[in-house]
Amino acid sequence: MASDPTSDRPEGQGEAAGLDPAEMLRMIQQQQEAARDATEPDGRVLFAAWGLAWLIGYLAMWSTARDTGVPAVWAGWVLAGCIVGATGLTVVHSVTRTSGTRGASARVGAMYGWTWFLAFMAFGVLIGAMGDAGASTEVQAIAANGFACVIVGLLYLAGGMLFEEVRMYAIGGWMLVTAVLAAFAGMPDTYFVMAVAGGGGFLVMVAVEQVIRARRRSSGTGERTEGGGRRA
Amino acid sequence: MPEELDPVIHAPARLRVVASLAALGPGDELAFPKLRKLLDMTAGNLSTHLRKLEDAGYVHVTKTHEGRTPATYLALTPTGRTAFADYQAALMDLLKGAQG
Repeated sequence: MASDPTSDRPEGQGEAAGLDPAEMLRMIQQQQEAARDATEPDGRVLFAAWGLAWLIGYLAMWSTARDTGVPAVWAGWVLAGCIVGATGLTVVHSVTRTSGTRGASARVGAMYGWTWFLAFMAFGVLIGAMGDAGASTEVQAIAANGFACVIVGLLYLAGGMLFEEVRMYAIGGWMLVTAVLAAFAGMPDTYFVMAVAGGGGFLVMVAVEQVIRARRRSSGTGERTEGGGRRA
Repeated sequence: MPEELDPVIHAPARLRVVASLAALGPGDELAFPKLRKLLDMTAGNLSTHLRKLEDAGYVHVTKTHEGRTPATYLALTPTGRTAFADYQAALMDLLKGAQG
């Protein structure tokens, strides 16, 4: 079991000799794509989870707040459930994909994950403190939506810089725009902005990722493999 | 002109190993079982190819312990990364030569 006799034949002969350069380059590209799929989270999965969570959760808030001005309690639970679900999926997906890797990327990725957790812990305490200090439900709602978008926006901008992902950076910028729109929309439309501009923004990214993948696959050899892989 | 292509990399199994490790960021390592699953090779076969790549100085093998279980991590060395880039450039040249 320890040694395979077929692998000990003279170098440069055997299976490789029959392949032409185009085929070899295609094989390299496919292998590198498979390696990235096995070690990096799939942006489409994460964007879809968060897009749906925001869309469903904030639409529930908006639709029940339209008549009374205050969202129904059940809508609050729907939103909370959506956020918890998307968080769980993100953690499980990211941990599964990156398991078996270690080094600089794994360290940066872990710190990045913990940053989200810490930021939203502080967020929860801040919103609670505003209520204790006498902020109205409306002020709290505007602050909660605006702060959530600012945190998400800044962390995506940071992710774009860390991982050199332009798409991440773009959605980060868009989330800051959403924060401003949600703040000026006022009650109850702030929730509608969160659902459509925020959730919708994530869902647009699913489509963008899909198009980029399809294009990369059909372009055959080239582009991503030059220089021997990521940041080589 | 196979003599222009790096013989260490110019074997499908080793090319796939090197291509996979090159997809990681510099300074990143992959666990042996994960690489084995990714390549769908037997442990013995993969070990044999890794030894050749290690002997050539292309792959760095780290043996460590996670708790009580031994674990092996693999990474491309800077030499390996350069060799892979050169190999790809050589393939590109061959392709251009064939087309032109």
